[in-house]
Amino acid sequence: MLACLCAVLWHLPAVPALNRTGDPGPGPSIQKTYDLTRYLEHQLRSLAGTYLNYLGPPFNEPDFNPPRLGAETLPRATVNLDVWRGLNDKLRLTQNYEAYSHLLCYLRGLDRQAATAELRRSLAHFCTSLQGLLGSIAGVMAALGYPLPQPLPGTEPTRAPGPAHSDFLQKMDDFWLLKELQTWLWRSAKDFNRLKKKTQPPPAAVTLHLEAHGF
Amino acid sequence: MALFSAFQTTFLLALLSLKTYQSEVLSEPLSLAPESLEVSIDSARQCLHLQWSVHNLAYHQELKMVFQIEISRIKTSNVIWVENYSTTVKRNQVLRWSWESKLPLECAKHSVRMRGAVDDAQVPELRFWSNWTSWEEVDVQSSLGHDPLFVFPKDKLVEEGSNVTICYVSRSHQNNISCYLEGVRMHGEQLDPNVCVFHLKNVPFIRETGTNIYCKADQGDVIKGIVLFVSKVFEEPKDFSCETRDLKTLNCTWAPGSDAGLLTQLSQSYTLFESLKATKCAPRTLCKHKSWCNWQVSPDSQEMYNFTLTAENYLRKRSVHLLFNLTHRVHPMAPFNVFVKNVSATNATMTWKVHSIGNYSTLLCQIELYGEGKVIQKQNVSVKVNGKHLMKKLEPSTEYAAQVRCANAHHFWKWSEWTRRNFTTAEAAPSEAPDVWRNVKSVQGHCVVTLFWKPLSKLQANGKILFYNVVLENLDRPSTLKLLSIPAPANGTELTLDRCSYQIHVTANNSVGTSPASVIAVSGDPGNKEVEEERVKGTEDGFCLSWKPQPGDVTGYVVEWCERPGDPLCDLQWKNLGPNTTSTVVSSDAFRPGVRYNFRIYGISTERIPYLLEKKTGYSQELVPSDNPQVLMSNLTSYSFTLSWKDYAAESQPGFVRGYSLYLKSKAARCLPGSEKAVLSDDSICCKYKIDNPKQKTFVVENLQPASFYEFFLTPYTSVGEGPQGAFTKVTTPDEYSHILIRIILPMIFSILLIMILCYLKSQWMKEKCYPDIPDPYKSSVLSLIKSKENPRLTIMNVKDCIPDAIEVINKQEGTRKSLTETEPTKPTYLYLLPTEKSHSGPGPCICFENFTYNQAASDSVSCGHVPVTPKAQPSQLGLLTSSENVPKALGKNYVNSLGEIPAGETNLNYVSQLASPMCGDKSSLPTNPPEPALCSEYKTQMAIPMGLASPPSITLLDEGEHDH
Repeated sequence: MLACLCAVLWHLPAVPALNRTGDPGPGPSIQKTYDLTRYLEHQLRSLAGTYLNYLGPPFNEPDFNPPRLGAETLPRATVNLDVWRGLNDKLRLTQNYEAYSHLLCYLRGLDRQAATAELRRSLAHFCTSLQGLLGSIAGVMAALGYPLPQPLPGTEPTRAPGPAHSDFLQKMDDFWLLKELQTWLWRSAKDFNRLKKKTQPPPAAVTLHLEAHGF
Repeated sequence: MALFSAFQTTFLLALLSLKTYQSEVLSEPLSLAPESLEVSIDSARQCLHLQWSVHNLAYHQELKMVFQIEISRIKTSNVIWVENYSTTVKRNQVLRWSWESKLPLECAKHSVRMRGAVDDAQVPELRFWSNWTSWEEVDVQSSLGHDPLFVFPKDKLVEEGSNVTICYVSRSHQNNISCYLEGVRMHGEQLDPNVCVFHLKNVPFIRETGTNIYCKADQGDVIKGIVLFVSKVFEEPKDFSCETRDLKTLNCTWAPGSDAGLLTQLSQSYTLFESLKATKCAPRTLCKHKSWCNWQVSPDSQEMYNFTLTAENYLRKRSVHLLFNLTHRVHPMAPFNVFVKNVSATNATMTWKVHSIGNYSTLLCQIELYGEGKVIQKQNVSVKVNGKHLMKKLEPSTEYAAQVRCANAHHFWKWSEWTRRNFTTAEAAPSEAPDVWRNVKSVQGHCVVTLFWKPLSKLQANGKILFYNVVLENLDRPSTLKLLSIPAPANGTELTLDRCSYQIHVTANNSVGTSPASVIAVSGDPGNKEVEEERVKGTEDGFCLSWKPQPGDVTGYVVEWCERPGDPLCDLQWKNLGPNTTSTVVSSDAFRPGVRYNFRIYGISTERIPYLLEKKTGYSQELVPSDNPQVLMSNLTSYSFTLSWKDYAAESQPGFVRGYSLYLKSKAARCLPGSEKAVLSDDSICCKYKIDNPKQKTFVVENLQPASFYEFFLTPYTSVGEGPQGAFTKVTTPDEYSHILIRIILPMIFSILLIMILCYLKSQWMKEKCYPDIPDPYKSSVLSLIKSKENPRLTIMNVKDCIPDAIEVINKQEGTRKSLTETEPTKPTYLYLLPTEKSHSGPGPCICFENFTYNQAASDSVSCGHVPVTPKAQPSQLGLLTSSENVPKALGKNYVNSLGEIPAGETNLNYVSQLASPMCGDKSSLPTNPPEPALCSEYKTQMAIPMGLASPPSITLLDEGEHDH
């Protein structure tokens, strides 16, 4: 089922309904992207629990909130509320797309480190889902006529800790990666909810008009 | 020569130099102190590496020296380590020494100093310590950077059970630092205000991603941590063993210990070392594989080997040793060139070769012979190079497998692998005569003999049976022989013989020869005498049959039966038994429960003629009856009925029917005599009659109640149980008197019918006798007589011709009597009487003519002669009747009603004819002359005319045509 979902999401950009020339407009694809973020939230909750247990305490403790040392390269999801409200659709979508592109690369590095087969399988599944979300966001951007952000050469995020990068810091990075991913999924759900409301026609006015005609 | 002179010069120079040195020492003691001491740090291993040199040594001088090294921590006075390090020192040689600190070097400042002394017997006078070097300070903390907090050691790798010291270095004095091991706070020892040390003892393995240790400040979000990787204890290799197969290569194998259990596995290396002949040429082999290694045997005939296997990882080194003699560790190669030759019916020879394991070595080879998957022969043979073994006592035409393996005969170590060959022995003539039996039938005066024989077993056949020979010998004409050859795999044949006696010889033949003959005789007399059949009880093991021993000469007995009794082919089976046997157990996998098997026991005479002795029949396992009989009911009376099931085939049931159970349901609470209460499977209660005689096919159910409802059900039973439960048949007994009634009523009905028929046949006679026709005066012959005589005086008087002489008019009160047909009771009905030529314009006054001839009462009671008044006659209609022509028509409508139909309450006119005849029902006597309509009048004629007398002449006769018949 998950494979089917991912395959559908991967092909979302190719679906004609997501093009601007299509009749339904971007509304359905935004709704699907919103649904996917909620699904990924649920999936990540399970994955993060398993992975943080694998790292051991204090990373799996619920109140563990370390400073964001060494995780500066991760895209930040937290943003000032006014700034967030002021984002236009293009910027909003672009930030989402870029964030998940980076996070996906880091996550694949995590996949390579995992020791147990079950954990590797869970990570691989989540990566596939996240790839689907990227495709979905790309579909929405295409439907709205926005170009996809081009990755700058040499800025491809990698997971190659330097010699001074201790194993504890590495674990901290993993913790922050999962935490940031979760925050991004929360934010994306709000982003797409906002987009969804904006793209929907005002149904109340139409209804009222029709009712007035009726009388 | 020149070389010698140069050496001598050098020696002299050195001696001179020593002499000079000695003279200097003697004058001033020479100090051989360590100089140029340098200390470096290996943080990962927590090691201090020291290097120094001794400069004051003479050129090429080598002296044994001892260096005392002191290491202090935090301050120089706190010496934590003192060690004497002895070594040979050369001039300007860089000496090195390392020390591993338990405490991470970053946790505290360390200082190192050393001094030296000559420890050489050549110069015992120099055995005194030099001066200490200056303290060399190692302070890593100063180079850590500006982070507020550090935790050390960084990502250390230790073995399970080790003791580890951890410290943190804080840059801030105000902050309290808390440290946690796997989320549990640790309590340490304050080394100085900024450094705290934690001692972890016997650290356990927790997880493959390591044990997390972190410290954080109470204020701010400063957090630092390390991962302590604890590996599982590196185990030594197990089952270390070496052996050779060709005396050229030794193969050593072992089982490596468990892995470290860490995410990044520690690399392990295995090294093989031979210590007895530690030659420079490959004394040590680094093994490429984790569990085995090869070692090339030296060609110098070294016999003893002492191997050391060293396993090593980052943390630990483990070694195991093995001392052995090479010739005792020979694992020979599998034999080759293995052949099985000279294979006859009972013998075969196996040959093979072995790989040599030395010039004088002998191998012990083991040969195993397999037949039908089991070892049937086992033999050991000593072999140098070529092996040979004769296998005897084999069975003809049998598949065998022979295999051979070898081991060192003198010092057994291991068997080689088996080398296996399959072979089949040659055929031989069949060893046994076929087991023959016959079935004799008489068809159209001929004797049809069906011969059966069982195929010979593999051991008896000694090869593939190709055909069977059947020789018929006519005993009456001994010179006559007839040979039939029947190809295999036939197991029988049918012969048509005359009534003569024959002896039949049957032999089985393979490619080598013929079996002994099996002889059976057929006599002219089939001898099917009547023998009573006995029942026999079968068990799981079969049927146990026994018979009476025969007094005469009997060569044996044969028990015959069919395995498929219902099948036309029958699958005839037989069993040959010796002459002294009088019982046997017949068992077969083909026996099925519920099938009746019939056994015939024959005795075999000396002439080989079988004759029937006994018959047995039985079931291997009896079952309950499969079906119930069709029961017919008869002789139903008020108190009994009879049941019969004569068509029921008890023999075809899957068990011997022992009797029948009759279930009777009734409303009566008690069961009748002869029955007992029984509970059916549906929990209903009924009465059960048990019929113990299986041959009884009728049963009378008696003592029933008349006019009662009963239900019955009959089922057979065997020793196992009753038949299937079926539907009950309903019956109601008739009433007690019904038969009596039938006996009386039926004859009565018959009699009545008979009488009726007789009456019908004699109706004319009866009529004449009982109710003859009343003569009609008008049809009377008298009339014709009168007419014929034309006597006008002789006539029948008509009523209308009568002139009443008195009319009595009786007025009655209205409403006293009412008729059902009265429509207008208040209106009087007017009847006009006497419509003569004298017309009346209207009703006259009621006049009563008194006629005393009749009694009033009589006129009231007698109905005969009344003129009925039509209820529907309306006054107007009645008015029409005034016309003389209309009167007969109106009256002719048969409105002849009884008196009661006449409206009684109205004023009516009762007319009493004076011609009223005592004969009732004569309509022709009705008055045709309409009476004079008179309201409320009753008219009574007072004129009485004797029968047959002439009327007054004024009376006129009606025409015949006006008569209403």
